[in-house]
Amino acid sequence: LHRDVASASVAGKVFLNVRSFPFGVAALSMLVLALASGALLALRPPEHKKADITYWTFAKPHYEAYQKVIHKFEEEHHCKVDLELVSGQGLPQRLQAAFLADLDVPDMCEVEISSAGTFFRGPVEHIGFTDLTPRLKAEGLLDRMVASRFAPYTSRGHIFGLPHDVHPVQFGYRRDILEAAGVDVNKIETWDDFIAVGKKITIPDKRYMIEMSATGSSQLETCLFQRDGGYFDPTGNVIFDNDIAVETMKWYVPLVAPGSQSQIANTLSSSFGTVIAQGMEQGYFVGVMMPDWRSKIFESDIGHLTGKMALMPLPAVQKGGRRTSTWGGTMLGITKHCKNQDLAWELAKFFYTNEKDLAERFSLTNILPPLKAAWKQPIFNQPNPYWSDQKLGRLYADLAPEVPSQYTHPFINVAKSKFGEALTECVQYYSQHGDEGFEPFIRTTLKAKADEVRRQIGRNPY
Amino acid sequence: LSATTTVTRSRAQEGIAGGGGGYLRRQQRIAPYLFLSPFVILFLVFGTYPILKSLTLSLYATNGPRDEVFRGLANYSFLFGDPDFHTAVWNTAVYAFFSVFLQLPIALGLALLLSQRWVRAREFWRLAFFSPNLLGQVFVGVLFAVLYQPQFGLVNRGLNALTRHAIPLDTKWLDDPNLVMPALVMTSIWMYAGFNMIYFLAGLQAVDKDLYEAASVDGAGAWQQFLNVTVPGIKPVITFVLVTATLGSFQLFELPYILLNNGGGPKNAGLTIVMYLYDRGFVAGDLGYASAVGWTLALGMLIISLIQVRLTGALKEGR
Repeated sequence: LHRDVASASVAGKVFLNVRSFPFGVAALSMLVLALASGALLALRPPEHKKADITYWTFAKPHYEAYQKVIHKFEEEHHCKVDLELVSGQGLPQRLQAAFLADLDVPDMCEVEISSAGTFFRGPVEHIGFTDLTPRLKAEGLLDRMVASRFAPYTSRGHIFGLPHDVHPVQFGYRRDILEAAGVDVNKIETWDDFIAVGKKITIPDKRYMIEMSATGSSQLETCLFQRDGGYFDPTGNVIFDNDIAVETMKWYVPLVAPGSQSQIANTLSSSFGTVIAQGMEQGYFVGVMMPDWRSKIFESDIGHLTGKMALMPLPAVQKGGRRTSTWGGTMLGITKHCKNQDLAWELAKFFYTNEKDLAERFSLTNILPPLKAAWKQPIFNQPNPYWSDQKLGRLYADLAPEVPSQYTHPFINVAKSKFGEALTECVQYYSQHGDEGFEPFIRTTLKAKADEVRRQIGRNPY
Repeated sequence: LSATTTVTRSRAQEGIAGGGGGYLRRQQRIAPYLFLSPFVILFLVFGTYPILKSLTLSLYATNGPRDEVFRGLANYSFLFGDPDFHTAVWNTAVYAFFSVFLQLPIALGLALLLSQRWVRAREFWRLAFFSPNLLGQVFVGVLFAVLYQPQFGLVNRGLNALTRHAIPLDTKWLDDPNLVMPALVMTSIWMYAGFNMIYFLAGLQAVDKDLYEAASVDGAGAWQQFLNVTVPGIKPVITFVLVTATLGSFQLFELPYILLNNGGGPKNAGLTIVMYLYDRGFVAGDLGYASAVGWTLALGMLIISLIQVRLTGALKEGR
C-alpha cells in the first residue's frame, strides 16, 4: 500500500509538472511530437546517391543499352554513374525546373529534338548546357559525325549537344500488298511516280497509299525538310512562310485533304501503338514514313508482319534529288552544373563513339548512330527478316549523308503549332474550294502564322 | 466539472496573487497566436508569397529567375491581343457553357430519376453513374483517346452501326477542329454528370415531402411541382453546383491535354486557358507571361462567380 501511494505521488508530481508546462499539455504534446519526428528525420536522413555523374535519359532502349555497358566505364574510370530513366514527357519540364531553381540538375541529360531548342533561351552564358564546340573540334567529331545532325543543337554558333542519331526517313510499306497489285517499287523515283501509284492503290475509306496527317505537322515537316525548308534558318529567322514552305504546302494538302481527287493519304488519330498497328495489319495503310527508330517499333508492335514489310528510299522531289529526309532526334548535353566536366565528356564519348557498342545498340534499336565509322560494323550489313531480308542498317546508312539540316529555336514549339494550324486551315480551304485561289490562300495563311511567331519572339527580350 | 472549474480559477487567482499573474495573462494572450502560427507561417511561405511573387512576375519579361526585365503591363497588353489566348478563352467558355447547360440538367435528371422509389437497384445505378468520377482525368483521357479512334474506335463503330453508316467510321473526333469540343464535352459529361448527380440527390432528400402533398392537393402537376417545389428546395445545391462546375470548367487541363496528345489539338480547337498557361510557363519557360495569364484567369473566374452568386441570390439567403 505504501509503495502504491508513493508511486501515485510521483506520477502526480510528473503530471503536475506537465500541467505547469507553458501553454499546457497540448503544447507539450505537440512539442514532443515535433522533436521526436525531427530527431527521427535527422537520424535517418534520405540516402544520398554518391554518384560522380548523374545521367538522365528518357528512352528506355537507350537506358537498357547503357546499363549493359556502364560497368566497363565505371571500372575504367574508377567512378560511379547514376543512370536514371525519366519520363519522356516529364523530362523537359523537370530539367527546365531544375535549371531555373538550380536544384537537382543532372550532370548529363539526353533531350529530344523538339524540346532541345527551348533550353537555348536567354543569353548564351545563361544556357544550362555546356558549350561542347571546343571539345568537338579538338576530337575531330564534327567531321567524324554526320554534320547536319549538329544543326538542331546549335545556338548562336555554339553547339550544346552531341547528336545521338541521324534518323533518315524511308518509305516502309506492305510488300505483299504492293506486289499483289503489280507495283514495282524500283520504278518509283519521284513523288510524282509515287502519287501515280498511290492513286491506283488507294480505295477511299478502305485503303490509303501512305499515312500522312491533315492536321498534325509531323509528316508535312518531313517533306519540308526534304526540300531544304524548315521553321527557322541558321540565324534564327522564321522561314516557314517562304517559297519552299508554300510549295510544300501546295503539294502536300491535295494528298491529304478529305474528298480531294488526289487524296492518297489519311491518318488515324495516332501514329503509334495499337492504332497504327491495326491500320497496317488490316491494310488500311499500305505504307508509312519510316525513320530508323520507327522501324524497330514496327518490328516489336506488329511482329506478325515479318517478311511482309519492306523499305524503299523516299521518292525524290525531282529526278536525281534527295531520297530521304529526317524525323526526330536526341541530343546529349552536359550541364554546367556538372562538377567533373572531363569525366562527363569521357562518358559522352564512351556512349556515343564506341563503335562496337554502337553496333550492339543498333541491333537493339535500329537507330543509326551519327558516327560514320560505326557503319562499317558487320551488323549494318546484316539482312533483317522482318524487312524481307533487306539490309536495314545499310539502307539507312547509305541515305544518312543526304539527311537535311533542321534548325531549332527557343520558340520551335510555337512555330510547329502555328505550322500545324496553317495546315489545318489550308486543308479546310482546299476541301471547300479546290485549286481556286489556293496558292494565295496558302501564302496569306503561312505569312499570318509566321508573323504570330515573330510577334511572340519580338515581345520577349530573350 | 464545476469543482474542476473552481479549482482552476482558484489556482489562477493564487497565481495572480502570487505575482505570476502577468505571466499567465501573457501566456493566455499569446497562446492562440502560437497555435495558429504553424498554419500562418506555412500559408505565408507557400500561399501568400507565391501569389504575390506571381503578381510581380506578371510585370516582368522573364527567362528564369536570373533574367528579368521589368515591362509594366506589357504582358497584359500583349495578352489581350494574343490570338492564342483568345482561342483558349473562347474554347474554355464554350466548354463551361456546355458543362453548365448540358451536364447539370443531365445530372439533375439522373438525380430525379434515381430518387424515384419505383426504380429498381437504385443504389447500383447511383454507384454506376458516380463511378466514372473515381477515375482520374488522365486515365479517362487515355481511355477516350482510344474510344474516339477513327476506323477502329468503339465510338465510331457504335455510331456507325446505330446510324446505319450515316456517321462514317472515318469520323475524326480528335483531328477535326469542329469535333474536338463535342468530344471533350461528351467525355466530361460521362465523367462528371454522375458526380454532380450525388449533390442533387442529397439536395432532393432534404426537400420537405409535405410540400409535394400540399402541391398535389392544390392540383399541381409533376412539372409544376418540379418548378415550384423541387427547384426552390434545392436552390442552394443548384447554386453550389453551378459555381463549382463553372470554376472547374475554367480550370480544365488534364483531360484535353491527354486526350489531344499534349497539345491544343487541330487549330488549337481544344486549347484551354490553363493549358495555355502551362504551355507558356513550363514549356516555353516564359513565367512572366504565364503569370499574367494566371491573374487574368483568376480575375475572370472571380467576376463570373460573383455574377452567378448574385443572379442566384445566394448571398442574400446566406445573410
